[in-house]
Amino acid sequence: MRDQIAKYSGRLLSDRSAVPGRISFAAQDDVLLTDGDPELARLAGEVLFSLSCLGMVAALPSLPFADFLVRRAPAGETRIVPRDTETRTFLHDIPFLRREELGGDAAARIARLLGNRKGVIAEGLGIFANGPVTVEHAYINYSSVFHAVFVKYLLDVLAEGFLLPGEKEAFEGFRRDWLRPVSAEGLPFRSGPLEDPGEILAEIAAVGRYTVERGLVDSFFGNISCRAGGVVYISQTAASLDELPGRIDPVPMDNSSTTGITASSELLAHRRIYEASGARTILHGHPKFAVAMSMLCEEKDCPVKDCWKDCDRVRLLGDAPVVAGEIGAGGLAKRVPPVIASPRKAVVYGHGVFTVGRTDFAEAFRAMVALENWCREEYFRRLAEKFSG
Amino acid sequence: MNRLPATGWRGKLLHVDLGEGTARIEEIPREFLLRYLGGRGLGVRLLRETYALDPFHPSMPLIFAVGPLCGTAAPTAARLAAVSRSPLTGTVYDCSAGGRFAHRLKAAGFDALRIVGRSPRPVALAVTPEGAETLPAGDLWGKTVGETVRALEGRGSVAAIGPAGENRVLFACIMMGEGNAIGRGGLGAVMGGKNLKAVVVNGDRAVAVADPSRFDRARQDVMRLFRASPVIFGELGIAEFGTPALVDLMRQRRMAPTENFRRTVFEGSGNYSGPAIRKAYGSKKDGCFGCPIQCKKSTPDGMHLPEYETVSHFGALNGIDDLHAIVRSNALCNELGMDTISAAATLAAWGEGRGRFPVAEEVDRLVADIGYRRGEGDLLAQGSRRVAEAMGNPDLSMSVKSLELPAYDPRGAYGMALAYCTSNRGGCHLRAYPISHEILRKPVATDRFSFSGKARIIKIAEDANAAVDSLVACKFSFFGATLEEYAELLSATTGEEYGPQSLKEIGERIYLTERFYNCANGFDAGDDRLPARFFREPGSGGEGIEIPPIDEKRFEEELGKYYRIRGLTPQGTFSDPGFLEKLP
Ligand SMILES: [Zn+2]
Repeated sequence: MRDQIAKYSGRLLSDRSAVPGRISFAAQDDVLLTDGDPELARLAGEVLFSLSCLGMVAALPSLPFADFLVRRAPAGETRIVPRDTETRTFLHDIPFLRREELGGDAAARIARLLGNRKGVIAEGLGIFANGPVTVEHAYINYSSVFHAVFVKYLLDVLAEGFLLPGEKEAFEGFRRDWLRPVSAEGLPFRSGPLEDPGEILAEIAAVGRYTVERGLVDSFFGNISCRAGGVVYISQTAASLDELPGRIDPVPMDNSSTTGITASSELLAHRRIYEASGARTILHGHPKFAVAMSMLCEEKDCPVKDCWKDCDRVRLLGDAPVVAGEIGAGGLAKRVPPVIASPRKAVVYGHGVFTVGRTDFAEAFRAMVALENWCREEYFRRLAEKFSG
Repeated sequence: MNRLPATGWRGKLLHVDLGEGTARIEEIPREFLLRYLGGRGLGVRLLRETYALDPFHPSMPLIFAVGPLCGTAAPTAARLAAVSRSPLTGTVYDCSAGGRFAHRLKAAGFDALRIVGRSPRPVALAVTPEGAETLPAGDLWGKTVGETVRALEGRGSVAAIGPAGENRVLFACIMMGEGNAIGRGGLGAVMGGKNLKAVVVNGDRAVAVADPSRFDRARQDVMRLFRASPVIFGELGIAEFGTPALVDLMRQRRMAPTENFRRTVFEGSGNYSGPAIRKAYGSKKDGCFGCPIQCKKSTPDGMHLPEYETVSHFGALNGIDDLHAIVRSNALCNELGMDTISAAATLAAWGEGRGRFPVAEEVDRLVADIGYRRGEGDLLAQGSRRVAEAMGNPDLSMSVKSLELPAYDPRGAYGMALAYCTSNRGGCHLRAYPISHEILRKPVATDRFSFSGKARIIKIAEDANAAVDSLVACKFSFFGATLEEYAELLSATTGEEYGPQSLKEIGERIYLTERFYNCANGFDAGDDRLPARFFREPGSGGEGIEIPPIDEKRFEEELGKYYRIRGLTPQGTFSDPGFLEKLP
């Protein structure tokens, strides 16, 4: 378990979601292990000890957005409810504890909330996330909370502006120092069409890694596939895109074998996209600005209440169509294929981006980079426009 | 008492004494319901005074218990647990089954039906909101399950035994009218021992939900997660292909028990894969009443098609690749009322012992002989452990605590290896269900060839699943949903606040109660043993996958950790003889 802790401490640094030195893990086997920042590790250990979970991460996020959301929340509020798909599907909401609630027995209060949810924000301390099954599970939950908080904060700032002292400066710092240009610069791609299974597996693994390294997806979300002959090679469900070797399922298009039962939950969407577009490769990520921007809807007096599920409009982000639809058999497999064929990209409301390549992954990857960059610029343009001066 | 009207629970059980021919309605202490939920937990709690009795003792209760979610629109919750002591394993035993019977029992106004006593002559029991009535069943005795169900279904939903239960086949099951089985552990024999051929229930009382809009939100959350789960609603998942969707996967992972676990790959398994069954039978979706998944499959004219465990054990485990023979064996087991896993695994152990596995043509006769306890069937009816001992080679029995192992070779999943041993009802895959993460990657993947962390993972999963079995919900729901959403359904239904953590604590209470009963009945670490084969012989490696024997020392070390995590002694027992009295 020590190796798992070392690995995921490293990941929190490499994905820049936590502040170096303010990261801690706890894990319990027959004994309780803690690691990292002593104060956080002590708390994480105490919290974990009272929960039926194997692992726990407690870390100070690299951005102050979680604390800002807590402080922006009306008095009496006890949770934030981001509107992205990861929250809607898996987290439901994110409970928080304000600084003044963390005196005395902070561990007991955090544990009580974490007994019901996957992640909790403790103002000034950080995000606490549990891992019922593994240390990795705790990392995934941390990462989901970080993602959800990021997206919600972007949207709240755009809607309401800065409300707290120091918030504007922090946001400018985020834009200047934390954000890095997204690009496909310097990445080698095999040129297609890819036919050899060995080469396909190697290229999927490489491109999956690029997707993570360039920040186009968080934790274990996102998926990737390549079609050759009658077979779709697709990343497995709950597989981190930068660890795909050995985690890619070959699925026959005619469903003559069910070994692909472990394939990504978006297998059906991938298949329909191939049928509708004739593409050879598909990339799906959750780039944050695209996710945020997909939820900006100017519709007035819209009768649709459940936008994720019931909106049947096709809107546009630049030249990319935006459609609604939930994960898996829930709807995006129906709504994405009809709109993706000619623009070769599509955004799913509150969820993420699908891009396709006609021969290889270079086209799909560059399209995702370009779309995220467009969304990022458009976000800051709108922010400036709304709150200029 | 000025309490709000009860929601979720009924608060009542129907107690029937077949020996005296009496029935009475009893209040269930609210404490039991709050702290043990229902289903398995409630049933296990209700055994506290009688767990030491012999399974065939007239006073040993056979309990059918539903849960607080039964009767609501909670997905997969029209289920019950049957609880008693198993004549096959000697352990406390519960078995979960879905279907209308559970729904109707709740609708009759009861959380549980507790049957004690032995009727002097064969009877059926008719349960209505007014109570119970015994019906003479002399003319049904000897009849198949199907015949019995047809004779009684005019009165409501039926749970019946076949000839196997009457003849006390140690792995006889109780069949639900729609074809679901209270399959494992021989509770059908317990029912037969009471001279009880069938129970038929009817009722139409709705179940009140404390907070309908909260319930509806939680239900939508669950359904969203089902749709996001490739195992549930994916196009290669169980809703499409049923559990035989696992045939190809287990072949590919090289962990499909073959020829009594001598090998782990069976060349002929493609003949009974999910797609092969669909092609051969034009199968359609079928399944438990009120379940949105509908993972059972049947032919267009309504014959039930076998589950993964059944096709694999009547197939690979006996070296049979004839799909039609396998489907016939399944149908015959269902009509005679016996557990397909134990039946097939007992045949395989016996086959290995005599040096020849049964061929397809032979299996029908052997299965019938078991059900009627004729010829060799009389020995085979006692399950593989007793058969192997009688043959002078106990190692032939691929069982833990006498319960035959299902179709996941433990050499291919080390958490599964551990969980077979720590299960309170013997070699069962469903107690901790590590296949979920070791193979199906849900909710996250773990390394199937590593013991690291598995003791803790198994402990947590056993607790969680004990709660699930008490709600009662189907294990398959948790390929998508989690205890978080089900706790929400439970809170909304009952008006009491529950969360994943409190549910796991309830599960732990249930698990430890069961373990305590078992220890009091003489079980200890010496019974938490895998068959020696798994430590000595490799499985069938190939295609870049090695299936070595399990490292016994490492296994023992992890089992030791498990006992420490559970607070047990190194012998797997309780240091405090008064442990039980401290529980509610
Ligand atoms: Zn996605």
